[in-house]
Amino acid sequence: MASDWSDPRPMSPHLQVWRWHATMASSILHRATGIGNYIGAVAIAVWLVLLAFGAEGSIAFLFEGWMAWVTRFGLILLTYSVSYHWLNGLRHLFWDFGKGFDPKGSNFRSMAIMFVAIIPTAALWLGFGS
Amino acid sequence: MVELTLPRGSQPTKGKTWPKPDGARNVRTFRVYRYDPESGNPPSWDTYKVDLDDCGPMVLDAILWIKNNVDATLAFRRSCREGVCGSCSMNIGGRNTIACTSGIDEYDGTITISPLPHQPVVRDLVPDLTQFYAQHAAIKPYLQTDTPAPEKEWKQSPEERAELDGAYECIMCASCSTACPSYWWNGDKYLGPAALLQSYRWLADSRDEAKGERLDELDDPFKLYRCHTIMNCAQVCPKGLNPAEAIGKIKGMLVERES
Repeated sequence: MASDWSDPRPMSPHLQVWRWHATMASSILHRATGIGNYIGAVAIAVWLVLLAFGAEGSIAFLFEGWMAWVTRFGLILLTYSVSYHWLNGLRHLFWDFGKGFDPKGSNFRSMAIMFVAIIPTAALWLGFGS
Repeated sequence: MVELTLPRGSQPTKGKTWPKPDGARNVRTFRVYRYDPESGNPPSWDTYKVDLDDCGPMVLDAILWIKNNVDATLAFRRSCREGVCGSCSMNIGGRNTIACTSGIDEYDGTITISPLPHQPVVRDLVPDLTQFYAQHAAIKPYLQTDTPAPEKEWKQSPEERAELDGAYECIMCASCSTACPSYWWNGDKYLGPAALLQSYRWLADSRDEAKGERLDELDDPFKLYRCHTIMNCAQVCPKGLNPAEAIGKIKGMLVERES
């Protein structure tokens, strides 16, 4: 990638030296899961269109053999992605009301949301499995 | 623009390692960013061994010890050595702070010190903060009034004055702004946490009469709304201030104004 840094002087290190707080991790994860949800929604829409036209056979390979495991893994990730993005979205709502800006509490909530998002993911998939 | 890596020529090389001081028993290693504009060389990480038995307790003491005892060419800013001037702000152990109020014992192992992140480096630990100061000036950090000046002072109740607590104490060290990834990627258009906290300080001032104009200025996709509540600003502020919260309050003011 061509750099748009036009200064003849060096740029001081940033990500190269930074020691992350939980809030920084949860922020980038919010964006990553947002992109994930976008892609996931498109994939599900395509699948529904194929179903509507009775053409789901064309993607049958996604549910056969080892590909079935890849698909399942992708869907589990998507479930986590939706869960996390939703929970962290709630938190953004609180921020919009001016609540929850204390650094220590924010770090705790960042970690909590990352872990708590596993619960609906696990509930859904373990429920499916039974 | 998001660029995760450093541009060509900014990547520090492995620099010089200075020997352990003679007879020192309580030694701490410091890895310090060096850049000499006259040398034509890229920046480097130089390693120094500091005799803690001969040195004060703060990171600034260690840097001064290095300059006095090992390498007089090390350049950095410092003045008050007690957390009120904001000159000695730098990245210590991966987080921005001011060296004078950071204890060496707050860090484990080798302590890495570099200039405030994502800024042009003038020399060693001295970044060019021209843009940062220009942004501070841009938000008009002074009282603006239309009504004729009163005979004595502009009065304010204790409650109104209390609104400014946590907003006025900024020492302009730039730790927060240069800690912010949004500021790293869009520092030319996003005002950054320090300028926005200062803007909030005037928006919250009962005596200021330019609230509308101030909010008009900030109502912009980049100047204010590049804040994504990453919270690095509040995490690192050496004065314990919370720019993220102030920015949230400004966003609230803009919403209230619309409704």
